[in-house]
Amino acid sequence: MNQKLTAVIIEDEKHICRFIETVLSAENYRTFTSASAADGLSIITSQCPDIILLDLGLPDMDGLEVIRRVRQFGDTPVIVISARTQEDEKVAALDAGADDYVTKPFGTSELMARIRTALRHHRSTDSADPVYSCGKLVIDFEKRLITLEGQEVHLTQIEYKLVSLLARQAGKVLTYDYLMRQIWGPYSDDNNQILRVNMAHIRRKLEKNPAEPEYIFTEIGVGYRMREE
Amino acid sequence: MSWFKRNSRLHHEPFCGRSVLCRDVAVSLFCMTVATLLASGFFLLSHNTANVAILYVLATVLIAQNTEGYIPGMMASVISVILINMVFTYPYMALNFTRDGYPLTFLGMLLISSLTSTLTTHLKDQTRVLKEREHMLMEAEKEKMRANLLRAISHDLRTPLTGILGAASSYLEQGSQMTDSDRADLVEAIADEAQWLLHMVENLLSVTRINDRTAGVTTSLEPLEEVVSSALQRLHKRIPDSKVQVRIPDDLIMVPMDATLIEQVLINLLENAVYHSGSATPILLTVSADSRLVWFRIRDYGRGIDPDSLDTLFDGYTSTQNRSSDSHKGMGIGLSICRTIINAHHGQISVANHPDGAEFTFTLPLGEHIYESEIDRSDH
Repeated sequence: MNQKLTAVIIEDEKHICRFIETVLSAENYRTFTSASAADGLSIITSQCPDIILLDLGLPDMDGLEVIRRVRQFGDTPVIVISARTQEDEKVAALDAGADDYVTKPFGTSELMARIRTALRHHRSTDSADPVYSCGKLVIDFEKRLITLEGQEVHLTQIEYKLVSLLARQAGKVLTYDYLMRQIWGPYSDDNNQILRVNMAHIRRKLEKNPAEPEYIFTEIGVGYRMREE
Repeated sequence: MSWFKRNSRLHHEPFCGRSVLCRDVAVSLFCMTVATLLASGFFLLSHNTANVAILYVLATVLIAQNTEGYIPGMMASVISVILINMVFTYPYMALNFTRDGYPLTFLGMLLISSLTSTLTTHLKDQTRVLKEREHMLMEAEKEKMRANLLRAISHDLRTPLTGILGAASSYLEQGSQMTDSDRADLVEAIADEAQWLLHMVENLLSVTRINDRTAGVTTSLEPLEEVVSSALQRLHKRIPDSKVQVRIPDDLIMVPMDATLIEQVLINLLENAVYHSGSATPILLTVSADSRLVWFRIRDYGRGIDPDSLDTLFDGYTSTQNRSSDSHKGMGIGLSICRTIINAHHGQISVANHPDGAEFTFTLPLGEHIYESEIDRSDH
């Protein structure tokens, strides 16, 4: 595929905007930038981009509102650019439909990795890949079989559901809320202790040292992310 | 600030004048009524007027004490004298001031009430002045702390900024005459200093999560291992060649904390160990728990800490004073922020030298600790 991918950057900081633009141009993306939400939305509707990079702190509109409007007319991947202190905001953005987030300040490689992950998940539908494989961990979704270094790992029903949910969207952060709703239903408790405990069990079965995990990473205050590749 | 507050209160006074008046009237009426009722009772039972007078004196004193200014007390004493005269002395239900010694009683009551009013008003004034002075002292102390902190911060911020500006300007002015490696060195220096600045700013931001008034934090139960692993991940991202050996309990331990802040403390202490120990031996991070506390120990195998600065290490200002030449590597306010965070969690932080280096220890209370087994039972 020789056609260039299109990215829209909505960010009111001039320098950050230029930095992202430079990075993406070097990676052969066609980029459009906008310093305001209103402009950004009109560019999105006219250009139909492949990916949207969105700063949450815009002067003219709440970033969450932008995500909602984008979601009204399509499922273009949205990556949120946020400042470190606002965990609640990150979670709200993810729950509003954003695909992922990067925290300011971020490096080139991190940004590109997030973009690639979001694009891949967007292209492939859920059941595309029947097997997740990373390091010495292999998950066969059809056989519901998990092996670590060739040895079968025994997980409970809920633990398996959690791991497969994370693995199917590997590389993407899944919020506590999303996981709770997926596993325990829409009316599950607000308290996510049960999720944390189940994750701890999984960690003890999959990781050599729970303090230095290789496969499932914690994003403090946000959720969990499974390693990709 | 305090000037403004006092001023605004003065402006408020006319508005609450009415409510003060109402309150004074109510207090006076209440005291007089109670005194009259009691006096009537005594009078009907014993026909002794001495008790009656004492009751009214008592009521007058109470009124003078619990109202603003002199007027209510005076009024109360006048009313008392009239009531005693009318109700409790012969001829009943009529005023008769011609009895012997009556002017003396009247004067006595008046004197007592005015004296009490004067005394209480004076006392109230004094307490108010004292309170205000205390408040001003506290404000001054806060102001001083704020100034100190600002000085420390601006020093710590200016140092890397100077580096960045210097490197950037030499790149811009002489970049064309430099070799590629020199140019790369300059850019690397800029990146380094910016990294340090970021670290500073993150530390400062984390303090804003601590409640100003109560100096407390909002805690939730977090699995120990998640906080430790997240801190390690961020450390490795920032300093890729840092080596840390971790030992944590096998049990799942949930600790009440603000995870972002504790992560910050761990990163600060680990980074501190990486930069200061001057040793390539891996840092040892050990976490252990008993029934009440979780202990975090960060042990390095480097040159240790200057015994003179052990006591003041967490104050934050020492390193900028003693090692101003080396402040890039100084922890600056990082350690004092660690202490603020741990205190806000009701934990304790300390540092000591051991034969091969330094060891930082901090504790967090477990609260109603929940071990894995307990949760297991409630699940199934």
